[in-house]
Amino acid sequence: MSDPVPEDNVLSIRDLAVDFKTDIGMTHALHDVSFDVPRGKVTAIVGESGSGKSVTANCIMRLIQPPGKIVSGKIDFAPIRTDGYDIVALSNRDPRLLDLRGDLISMVFQEPMTALSPVYTVGNQVAEAILCHRNVSRQEAWQEAADMLTRVGIGDVSRRIHQYPFEFSGGMRQRVVIAMALVCQPELLICDEPTTALDVTIQAEILTLIRDLQQEFSNSVLFITHDLGVVAQLADQVVVMYQGRVLEIGTVRQVLKDPLHPYTRGLLAAIPGLVQKGSRLETIASVVGDADLETPYPLTHMADGRQVSLSPTLLREAGHE
Amino acid sequence: MSEPLLEVNGLSKSFDGVVAVENVSFSLHPSETLGIVGESGSGKTTLARCILRAIDPDEGSVLFNGNNGWHQLHNMTEKELIPLRQEMQMVFQDPFSSLNPRMTVQEILEEPLIIHGIGTRSLRRESVLDILSRVQLEQDALTRYPHAFSGGQRQRIGIARALILKPKLVVCDESVSALDVSVQAQIINLLEDLQQELGLTYLFVAHDLSVVHHICDRILVMHQGRVVEQGPVETVFTDPREDYTRLLLSAIPSPDPDIPLQPLDRQMLGL
Repeated sequence: MSDPVPEDNVLSIRDLAVDFKTDIGMTHALHDVSFDVPRGKVTAIVGESGSGKSVTANCIMRLIQPPGKIVSGKIDFAPIRTDGYDIVALSNRDPRLLDLRGDLISMVFQEPMTALSPVYTVGNQVAEAILCHRNVSRQEAWQEAADMLTRVGIGDVSRRIHQYPFEFSGGMRQRVVIAMALVCQPELLICDEPTTALDVTIQAEILTLIRDLQQEFSNSVLFITHDLGVVAQLADQVVVMYQGRVLEIGTVRQVLKDPLHPYTRGLLAAIPGLVQKGSRLETIASVVGDADLETPYPLTHMADGRQVSLSPTLLREAGHE
Repeated sequence: MSEPLLEVNGLSKSFDGVVAVENVSFSLHPSETLGIVGESGSGKTTLARCILRAIDPDEGSVLFNGNNGWHQLHNMTEKELIPLRQEMQMVFQDPFSSLNPRMTVQEILEEPLIIHGIGTRSLRRESVLDILSRVQLEQDALTRYPHAFSGGQRQRIGIARALILKPKLVVCDESVSALDVSVQAQIINLLEDLQQELGLTYLFVAHDLSVVHHICDRILVMHQGRVVEQGPVETVFTDPREDYTRLLLSAIPSPDPDIPLQPLDRQMLGL
């Protein structure tokens, strides 16, 4: 199995390691994280709290602040509009960082109220994204902002564009954040738990919106979530993370329908609704049993193109030669 | 059918003219789990709080079948309610903000007993140890403060605090929604085990329909302060009568990639 052609990936993360210095010593937030984000597809990172999924996203945007530090690894970014580079290697003053953040790569956060400024109108905030990155007049920027807000499903835009975030509901605010993120046509859109704070009905609307926009603009999406239902509905490719490591990589069907790693099986089994009503829910511990989750086994390429981090015994059981 | 534990009739509550709960009626039987589902703003938490008299309802009656007969909760004064508080307790959503950071676990668990003047020092200690083992925490937890625990462990402490008074009715307000799925599974199992062992009755407020489906016997679906549908959980999930229930159910993303998400359109349903 050879590595995929590099041009196919908008992002290739290799051996990324991040440490946080704490009172009680170093916390290794990421160890040797490696995966690719294929161009034009949706890649989901799934994991529980503390698995390192948001830290990974923040590394891509170079948002890791002291006491956190990227200690090793590289993130090869291959945009179409400009030459590629290693994001980790950029200095903090490199002008390319300004293009990276918000223009080439943009991000949608979990909590739309904290992602928006309460003291500017939404039109102002969407237009600002354009004015930061494009050489256009204010009027043109506002026109583009209005178009984008319409596209993400905000009705009555001529009035709404002059309103403040507090005048919008949670779902509508998240639409504004998505408009801000997409208005510069980023080559990679990172969504960090964008629907976790929303009601299930609003979540369904936002997921449908993200899916439609992704198909329309065919941009690459890195979608971070803890919800396997969301993964199943949106992702092409899935990366399962646990305690700062990658445990399993594969297509959405491979990972969710035939998981190789016991931890992935545990995550699936713990979802209520899949098991018989009245029976006990499986917990990660009961599914994983005495399989080793603590030793960082290397990711092994399997015959069907997927990768998994398993002990040699389990690897043989999974049919690896 | 046994006598109900709780009867709610025509309960209404408004805040500054905004209707939060409107004319809600239901009954709850001992050892039953009743789910209250709905979106944010549907009034489910307000309803739960009105029942416990954490806030005062505007209209309607709440009848509670306590240890010494029926009580009209809606008519009682704060003072009269105090002894009844032993019999109805609440487990909150956020395991971080619902525990006092300056109290040890021992103090947190003992406080309800002290407030209600139950037992001697050594008897209280015994109850604390008993409830601690029931929620599967180690004894060394007692001298530690909440910050030393994970979210799931804190939720166990919150459950222990609610159960130490041996209540009959436990209101769980989104008690598992802040937890990771694997921890959530542990807490759901714990709640079910405790219900069996102690014969508890749960009022389970939640927005996660799959959790409700798993844990509840009956559900109330709330929309804009009103109950739009109620019934056995299996019936409501497989054969919903109301459009709003269908809308809620259609919005759940299935973890099976071959079952596509096809949410119903709110406008088309006229909701």
